[in-house]
Amino acid sequence: MIRFVKLRKSFGALRAVDDLDFAIETGEVFGFLGRNGAGKTTTIRMMMGLLAPTSGTVILGGHDIRREPEAAKALAGFLPDHPFLYDRLTGEELLRFVGGLYRVDRRELDRRTHELLEEFGLEPRAGELIETYSHGMKQRLALAAALVHRPRLLVLDEPMVGMDPQGALALRRRLGDLAASGVTIFLSTHSLDVAEELCGRIGIIDRGRLIALGSLEELRREHVSPSPAANGLSLEEVFLGFTGTAGIVA
Amino acid sequence: MAGQGDAAAPIAAAREKVATPGASLARASRESRLGPPASLVWLLLPRLLAARNALRRGRMRPLVLGTLTLGFWAGTFFAFERTLAYFQSLAAIGPILTQRLLFLLFLSFFGVLLLSNVVTALTTFYRAADVNLLLAAPVDFRRLHLARFVETLATSSWMVLLFGLPAFLAYGVVYRAGPEFYAGTLAALVPFLVIPAAIGVMVTTAIVLIFPARGARDAMLLASGVLSALAYVAFRLLRPERLASPTGLAGFAAFLADIGEPSPYLPTTWAGEVLLPLLRARPGEPLFHLALLASTAGVLYLASAAVVERLFLIAWSRAQQGRFRGARERPLSRWLARLTRPLPHAPRLILTKDLTVFLRDAGQWSQLVLLLALIVVYVYNFTALPIDDGSPLAATIREVASFCNLGLAAFVVTSVAVRFVYPSISLEGRSWWVLRSAPVRLTTIWWSKFWIAFLPLAGLGEVLIVLTDHFLGVSTTLTLVFMATLLPTIAAVVSLGLAFGAAYPNFDSQNPAQIATSFGAVIYMVTSLGLIAAIVAMLAWPISRVFWHAIARPPIGDREIAASGLAFLAAASLTAAAFELARRAALRSMAQLQP
Repeated sequence: MIRFVKLRKSFGALRAVDDLDFAIETGEVFGFLGRNGAGKTTTIRMMMGLLAPTSGTVILGGHDIRREPEAAKALAGFLPDHPFLYDRLTGEELLRFVGGLYRVDRRELDRRTHELLEEFGLEPRAGELIETYSHGMKQRLALAAALVHRPRLLVLDEPMVGMDPQGALALRRRLGDLAASGVTIFLSTHSLDVAEELCGRIGIIDRGRLIALGSLEELRREHVSPSPAANGLSLEEVFLGFTGTAGIVA
Repeated sequence: MAGQGDAAAPIAAAREKVATPGASLARASRESRLGPPASLVWLLLPRLLAARNALRRGRMRPLVLGTLTLGFWAGTFFAFERTLAYFQSLAAIGPILTQRLLFLLFLSFFGVLLLSNVVTALTTFYRAADVNLLLAAPVDFRRLHLARFVETLATSSWMVLLFGLPAFLAYGVVYRAGPEFYAGTLAALVPFLVIPAAIGVMVTTAIVLIFPARGARDAMLLASGVLSALAYVAFRLLRPERLASPTGLAGFAAFLADIGEPSPYLPTTWAGEVLLPLLRARPGEPLFHLALLASTAGVLYLASAAVVERLFLIAWSRAQQGRFRGARERPLSRWLARLTRPLPHAPRLILTKDLTVFLRDAGQWSQLVLLLALIVVYVYNFTALPIDDGSPLAATIREVASFCNLGLAAFVVTSVAVRFVYPSISLEGRSWWVLRSAPVRLTTIWWSKFWIAFLPLAGLGEVLIVLTDHFLGVSTTLTLVFMATLLPTIAAVVSLGLAFGAAYPNFDSQNPAQIATSFGAVIYMVTSLGLIAAIVAMLAWPISRVFWHAIARPPIGDREIAASGLAFLAAASLTAAAFELARRAALRSMAQLQP
């Protein structure tokens, strides 16, 4: 479903993303981990066509994001790390607008809008301007907008940030359901417990380079330590093992 | 015993510490942990550093703005210098007119400053994001008030510096005033600016306590738009062009002479009373009036500090409340969706979204009101033109005026485009990702933005041409030629607006008026005016040939016809090139946008 082909992005002398070259299969839940500034968001922005790569490309569902951006984007739902929305639209208007951009049929859009507003607990405030929403509500609305056209691929950049425990739990369940229904999920997160629970495979990016790729078991076994003691390591320990503990304040 | 004495010393020291008054101890303790309270400069540091960094970033920017400001100053100075010199020539009533004009000047400044300070204080005190940071920091309300007060004062008072300084300088030059006049001007201006700022802060705090900030801001933006529009129309109806002729200046002098004595209780009067004796225009007590100004400013400043100190937290909390309109928001977008149904899919969606956002933005409404005033005044100008005197050349003058009108109509459209087209990319703001991550081509977004802007602007331009040509009595054929010429010009102006708007985006501001006064907007305006001037210049000769042919019937040869055709072709090519180059530049910039 997703194929990174020698993807690179440089900002002047800084190489933010350096030759990413790997694939994610259909129906897979992929966790994309890395420290702040490692290149996660830059990768995602290139993947969604928001940023032009310096070289290489990303292929979504067989469509090159550089050559067929509309076809590639039509497959995906996207939740950015800071989902700024149109403050002067209502929640319902936003969902209808986004659904329209993805050419969802009008009747289906009516049904889908109400379904999502209800599912994400936004129905009572659906007619109010988004500027009156709390951060968590905006996050849930942006997620609903990402799902409005029933995407085959969901790209989520830090979806748990700003969510209350109930919202976070609901999101985890929802992601589980989506994965079970065959939706491919690309999840960038610092919530390692969520990644550990949901993700079948994990990629760790550091200074723009992919330094680890595989299931948690594979990462434990192949990259950290071949010893039997490594079997009990959490994803957090594995992650720190790869990226080091620099920056951790005692 | 010695041991007892040794033990008693620290106990005595401890008792001494305990006996220290609580407030001093608390202060000492706080200072030992936190250092001295943040100074005013420290609190203003983010703004100062941001201004310095902005100046460092582009060297062209301060150069262009500085040149424009100097040009404006020079123009204002000469206008005042001429008026005051004329007043001086009127031996009997000259001093009275000078005095009245000065009072009028201060009164106008004061009115605008009051309004400006109320609107600015709402932003600096109750809507700025960094207030949260200051509230969380160990900064007391008095210092917070001082820092925000200085910011409000500086932001609101630039207009007085822009208009006032050349006017006061003209007074000094015409009356050959000594250095005491210039010192007195500066001394009077400081309290004169502080007074409306203090009133503005108190009024804003009261408004925020009564209404939520969003509602208050919307109401104030609309009110400021309406008041500015009324002032503009009123000023125009005074027919200031009469000042250009000696009889006109005499009429203005008579108007000034008719104004009654200013009230002795107004700060505007006190400010005038400080300066007039220093100009030696009449005897007076400048120090007394300066003291009146300064003491009033001091009292009002302290009052505003007290109000903020006691009520800021309550008002700030109120300001955080948004608008809760409930289901009332829905009909607008549904109605717009029905209205735009005939359009293609993506442009329809983007148009509906843009119009919904536009119509819910009070800032845009205030701009619309100003636009209406601009159009009313523009059309009124043509009814007031003294060209229908029945002379044989009247018809020619009308035709020439109508040709100039082509450029002027394009200029009016450009002014409107600066307000509405140029900010349209910036106003997408940080929500740009919604459009960019959707399966919509960048060119579709561009064309949507183009048509949304072009259709109303073309309508406006054509209506202006038809109306003004009607008042001028221009023939239908020529009116049609001008209408046809204006359409591609407007298309190019819109295309340039999108190009400059995308090249100089401002994603931090939600205020279109603020975006429309930015550096990129100035460059856009200058470029568009250059284009319009070039088109008008190219068409001037062939159209003048047509005029003279219509009047004197001189024969038009084949070479002249060919030259005229070439001129039209050149103008069309220039317009088309400007449109296409701007379109490509806009698409390149839009692809790079990273809000």
